[in-house]
Amino acid sequence: MSLIHEIDYGTPPSAAAETVSLTIDGNRVAVPVGTSIMRAAMDAGIQVPKLCATDSVDAFGSCRLCLVEIAGRPGTPASCTTPVAAGMVVSTQTERLKQVRKGVMELYISDHPLDCLTCAANGDCELQDMAGAVGLRDVRYGYQGENHLTAAKDESNPYFTFDPAKCIVCSRCVRACEEVQGTFALTIQGRGFESKVSAGMAETFIESECVSCGACVQACPTATLMEKSVIEIGQPEHSVVTTCAYCGIGCNFKAEMRGEELVRMVPFKDGQANDGHSCVKGRFAWGYANHRERILNPMIRDRIDQPWREVSWSEAIGRVASEFKRLQGAHGVRAIGAISSSRCSNEETYLVQKLVRGGFGNNNIDTCARVCHSPTGYGLKATFGTSAGTQDFASVEHSDVVIVIGANPTDAHPVFASRLKKRLRQGARLIVIDPRRIDLVRTPHVEAAYHLALRPGTNAAILNALAHTIVTEGLVNEAFIRERCDSSAFEHWASFVSEPQNSPEAVGLISGVPPEAIRAAARLFATGGNGAIYYGLGVTEHSQGTTAVMAIANLAMVTGNLGRPGVGVNPLRGQNNVQGSCDMGSFPHELPGYRHVSDDGVRSTFEAFWGRPLDAEPGLRIGNMFDAALDGSFSGLYVQGEDILQSDPNTHHVAAALAAMECVVVQDLFLNETSAYAHVFLPGSTFLEKDGTFTNAERRINRVRRVMAPRNGMADWEITLAIGRAMGFEMPYGHPSEVMDEIARLTPTFAGVSYELLDKVGSVQWPCNTAAPLGTPVMHTDSFVRGKGNFIITEYVPTDEKVGPRFPLLLTTGRILTQYNVGAQTRRTANLAWHDQDVLEIHPHDAEQRGVRDGDWVRLDSRTGATSLRARVTDRVAPGVVYTTFHHPTTQTNVVTTDYSDWATNCPEYKVTAVQVAPSNGPTAWQRDYGDHADRGRRISKVAAE
Amino acid sequence: MDAAKLVMMANQIGRFFAGQRGTDPVVGIADHLEKFWEPRMRAAIIAHLAAGGTGLDGPVRDAVGRLDGMRTGRLGAGLKN
Amino acid sequence: MTRIFIPQDAGARAVGADRVADALRAEAARRGRDVTLVRTGSRGLFWLEPMIEVETPAGRIAYGPVTAGDAATLFEAGLEEGGAHPLRLGKPDDIPFLKQQTRITFARCGIVDPTSLDDYRAHGGYRGLSRALQIGPPGVIEAVTASGLRGRGGAGFPTGIKWKTVADTAADRKFIVCNADEGDSGTYADRMIMEGDPFSVIEGMTIAGYAVGATRGYIYIRSEYPDAIRAMERAIVVAVNRGCLDDFCLEVRVGAGSYVCGEETALLESIEGRRGQVRAKPPLPAHKGLFGRPTVVNNLVTLATVPAILADGAERYAALGVGRSRGTMPIQIAGNVRHGGLFEAPFGLTLGEIVDGIGGGTANGRPVRAVQVGGPLGAYFPRALFDTPFDYEAFAGRDGLIGHGGIVVFDDSVDMARQARFALEFCGIESCGKCTPCRIGSVRGVETIDRIIAGDRRDANLALVEDLCQTLKFGSLCALGGFTPYPVMSAITHFPEDFGRTRLPAAAA
Repeated sequence: MSLIHEIDYGTPPSAAAETVSLTIDGNRVAVPVGTSIMRAAMDAGIQVPKLCATDSVDAFGSCRLCLVEIAGRPGTPASCTTPVAAGMVVSTQTERLKQVRKGVMELYISDHPLDCLTCAANGDCELQDMAGAVGLRDVRYGYQGENHLTAAKDESNPYFTFDPAKCIVCSRCVRACEEVQGTFALTIQGRGFESKVSAGMAETFIESECVSCGACVQACPTATLMEKSVIEIGQPEHSVVTTCAYCGIGCNFKAEMRGEELVRMVPFKDGQANDGHSCVKGRFAWGYANHRERILNPMIRDRIDQPWREVSWSEAIGRVASEFKRLQGAHGVRAIGAISSSRCSNEETYLVQKLVRGGFGNNNIDTCARVCHSPTGYGLKATFGTSAGTQDFASVEHSDVVIVIGANPTDAHPVFASRLKKRLRQGARLIVIDPRRIDLVRTPHVEAAYHLALRPGTNAAILNALAHTIVTEGLVNEAFIRERCDSSAFEHWASFVSEPQNSPEAVGLISGVPPEAIRAAARLFATGGNGAIYYGLGVTEHSQGTTAVMAIANLAMVTGNLGRPGVGVNPLRGQNNVQGSCDMGSFPHELPGYRHVSDDGVRSTFEAFWGRPLDAEPGLRIGNMFDAALDGSFSGLYVQGEDILQSDPNTHHVAAALAAMECVVVQDLFLNETSAYAHVFLPGSTFLEKDGTFTNAERRINRVRRVMAPRNGMADWEITLAIGRAMGFEMPYGHPSEVMDEIARLTPTFAGVSYELLDKVGSVQWPCNTAAPLGTPVMHTDSFVRGKGNFIITEYVPTDEKVGPRFPLLLTTGRILTQYNVGAQTRRTANLAWHDQDVLEIHPHDAEQRGVRDGDWVRLDSRTGATSLRARVTDRVAPGVVYTTFHHPTTQTNVVTTDYSDWATNCPEYKVTAVQVAPSNGPTAWQRDYGDHADRGRRISKVAAE
Repeated sequence: MDAAKLVMMANQIGRFFAGQRGTDPVVGIADHLEKFWEPRMRAAIIAHLAAGGTGLDGPVRDAVGRLDGMRTGRLGAGLKN
Repeated sequence: MTRIFIPQDAGARAVGADRVADALRAEAARRGRDVTLVRTGSRGLFWLEPMIEVETPAGRIAYGPVTAGDAATLFEAGLEEGGAHPLRLGKPDDIPFLKQQTRITFARCGIVDPTSLDDYRAHGGYRGLSRALQIGPPGVIEAVTASGLRGRGGAGFPTGIKWKTVADTAADRKFIVCNADEGDSGTYADRMIMEGDPFSVIEGMTIAGYAVGATRGYIYIRSEYPDAIRAMERAIVVAVNRGCLDDFCLEVRVGAGSYVCGEETALLESIEGRRGQVRAKPPLPAHKGLFGRPTVVNNLVTLATVPAILADGAERYAALGVGRSRGTMPIQIAGNVRHGGLFEAPFGLTLGEIVDGIGGGTANGRPVRAVQVGGPLGAYFPRALFDTPFDYEAFAGRDGLIGHGGIVVFDDSVDMARQARFALEFCGIESCGKCTPCRIGSVRGVETIDRIIAGDRRDANLALVEDLCQTLKFGSLCALGGFTPYPVMSAITHFPEDFGRTRLPAAAA
């Protein structure tokens, strides 16, 4: 193994189809029109010296090292900024060029510390490389002149250092912040010799608008912007390409190592989902893997009021098997079940559902996608025939109008947000449909054409009103509907949306959005060229989540925005493997590949392969499990990688259900909130310690590669196998790749997938089979998977959760850039520097009425519970709406959310809770009790394991 | 299982299918319950109907009424998926 | 009623034109005389400012330099009739400095009321646009090309070719940008036009817009020109109110004190609201300029000359000048010179004729030792090169440039090592900081010259400066760093003795 060095071509590729040929240093080379001379030279194997050029950003032409001479042209043009031309004859090495390059390098070094041997970038410094390349031997100016050598370091960012003394002012960081990330947090301040990189208005990095995505660090050719981990540990010596375990983008990273020690995570340029970009979580927030609270030994206890007792793996697994068998004996085969996690790999979730169906003999398997994107699966399957998004991420580069509804990409899907912002800066128009003024509404060089700030819970109404405008104003794509859609379904639907209750004027009263804005947005979407819809949990986590997904599908079909790049219906998945866990048959009603358990043919295939009879009845969903537990008919649960107590709604109800169970088995990295109610704790491993695959929001199957041995001594997939074995269900695999082989064999859409293929091509998007051996970037290109596109009537039904005198405000929840989900990982990293507590966003008007000032403690009350947290007074939320995150168990936001759920899938209605807000003087009594209880639940007995 | 909660969930499903056109909502509701409700939930709602079915909306009552006969039945033709 | 013309040009105001106007007004009132004061631009004879002119039946009669204290004696002497007075200069056109000129661009400057569109029209204004509308956009471009007009900002690029490139580039919007960021030392032609004949700029830009298909224009004026900004804005308001800008929208943008913003791409960045940093070319502004659209960026003098070319015919303009330098050039004579001022003449006068003849040598009578032509980045010429004709190619042939036409005269007390140091210091102060040679090289250059001045290893350091100049010349992104070697190397080459070197016989050649 060695360190992977990706080739830097200096300038981005040209997309042109036409090529031109030219001669560089006597070599003929043909490249696409618009290619820079520098890049063409790289194609010919000639490295022109460079410092300010790097192929992630546009050419800038400032360092003046890459100058060349062109026959018949005067002067010495920069090869990075000069495009090729047919027949051009270029020389990259002449006496004059040598002298200029040496002269430039002499100037650079005259203002640079001479500490190469002790510099953190030693061995990975482009300045050092170039000094060697141009043959600099002497700095005749001396080192006594004016310089920046004593400029103060900025170490405010927890992950990287800015050392201006080493800066060569190439602007790569500034340009990366602008072009790659799109945040525009950096600039060059001052001019001439005083020019220096500045975060914001001469702020420190941590105080500035910097989002710590790492693009600047990545772009820096010297040690100026440098990971603190590299400064501390030293340069890595080998790297392994793997996939990030945060969010549904699925960024590929190079895990750069020194032996078994992770030095840094560097975004992989060939990563097809991220194109070499990253966010603060994937790039930097991996320290939780070595956090002191990580549990590395199995533990058991008889009752949840006892301290934990560390035991051997065999004792722990034996306890699980004996308890589960006892419970099945006592309460029936369906008395136990499992919940898998979208944070785990395809192979792991596949094995958990296999354990349940084959080993437990029932279908009580559910996954955390239940509480996020289950409506996507149902809605898109009903309309298009496939429970998945239709596009790849690159598709957005061809979009002309983008609707973002119920999603906040700059926080939750930052790497995609950067791609989207880039397209918006190029001129694509944006429609944001969200109760909050999310960052995308107005961010540097991006402004939404329309922001429909709807009242929470009215998505379906707004989507119907958009459709009403399109249908009644004659903006329907008739050809698409004629050729691609079910005509009678369309007729029914068209007459439904045309009804007056769906007009923007009527919906305006319900949603609070001005009718003219709805009409204008609809016209823009229908007539603005390629239209794409991106949505998130703000769509799904409602009592009408599935209805809204269907309404989105209808909107895409009626405008003909499906089946080609630039368009489509794009669910932004919250966690790394939401798509994959659903694909793997983690829902109680369907086997891998979304096939219903009642389908005899499918079931018999699995029965034959697994050697076990399978239950033909659907199993319990997560919420149903809780209800059944309180009922006494469900008493054993295996939870892998999911903290249901913190993440599921109505904490009181979940806690009661867990307390009612006789054996709760938690497999996790840490003693999470759920573990306070657990009887067996099985230590899990991080993504750094495992082999497997994640499937991202674009159906892309990415390899996760083990970069270090599991610290707990046993891989997660092996733990599931061990439970099966102990229960008498043998699942014989030697490696996760064999699990994937089985998945491919049993699942038609995965038939062509193998680790061998993934290692060869990087990643593939399913369907991947003989019809599409390298996968399918865009779905439904010629016809829908279900045949004809199905318009479904999406009547708006208001939620039963209503505001009233006691609870006059609507709470909606979400997440923030630096924290992830329940925060189990990110709270155990330096990301706390940005967000160390959940805060309640409240409009100044509502705050004033209640005497709440910014930063005050407030009590948040709903019909189900209450918690206290600090207030942030902001007009990002509309009057009548409050917002918070659910990252911190000290807040336990879900104590206020309700049992209401989506009609079709029971996806909880996290996004609408009627609440009241009042000033308070600190945490509630419940919060204190909860904290005490959780602490007691985490006690570990000091008695040595047997 | 808490009958009131099951009634609320069933009525939610009923409300959706009642709004569809060109299909029988009762078939759609019954099919949905058959495909997505675990047997003990179906048993509980059937028992609730047998006990008078308080709170169940019209088409939902009809659909629950059919469940008994469909316990081992094939997938219905409710929603076209 | 008698009309008295008093310049409102900033140069005249700086030497008391406002006080003179007040004094004349007060004196006239005291005497009950019916006079109207008209504030004009300057004729450009700065040693005679404030120079006033009075309208008499025999034509205008000039007096100057007038002070406020002269008001009484002037009226006493029969000012209104052009009466005799020690300050009486006669008919302005008979003053040799003016008489020797060929005024095309500056034909109206100092004569017309810059706020009066009627005055502008009465003196031939808008004849060029009428002609343009007759011959159509291709005809205009053809005429401008045929006139041989080249960019008067210094680069000397043929204006017609630039216009044609923009005209031929398809785009949803195009722009005309007038570069009035006149920052070269010893130059003031742009300022004089803006303060004295602003409508000619408006007409020239309107014609350019018509020719290339642009409907919006920007005039970028340096912030150090408050009077010019005011005059230009006032003229735009008048033009708008009079319907002259119905099809072409004009806007003044004010710089923020950066010399580099006179470089066309940095200027575009500045208009776009960004840091005034130079862009790499290509793409040329003619292809991708302001807001990424095809853009004509022309110097103000270039644009102000266009109306005359169209009005009177390209041939007439092209008939003037020498070689590839056609037409006239407004030469701005400054520094230690007796007759400083604006001298518009066809290309071809020798440097000696300009400095010694027209300029009359130094103001203090000491011998002229060096002349810097073309602004702070222009070369220093010794007397030995005074035979150089004033034309783009001839100056380039002697490692110099005519730039924007500024000439700064130095007497024999000048220390050329200090001047070389100043050139590098100027480069350092004004560097935008983008490219390395200019950003670091300017500072190192100053330090090295300081060592030379201090006598520290002179030969080695001179060699280092020469190497640095090569790096600057071939390595810099724009002319600021690229041309700084001109003053530095010309000083070292022509005046080696100031650097502690003995003058070689060849150096004087």
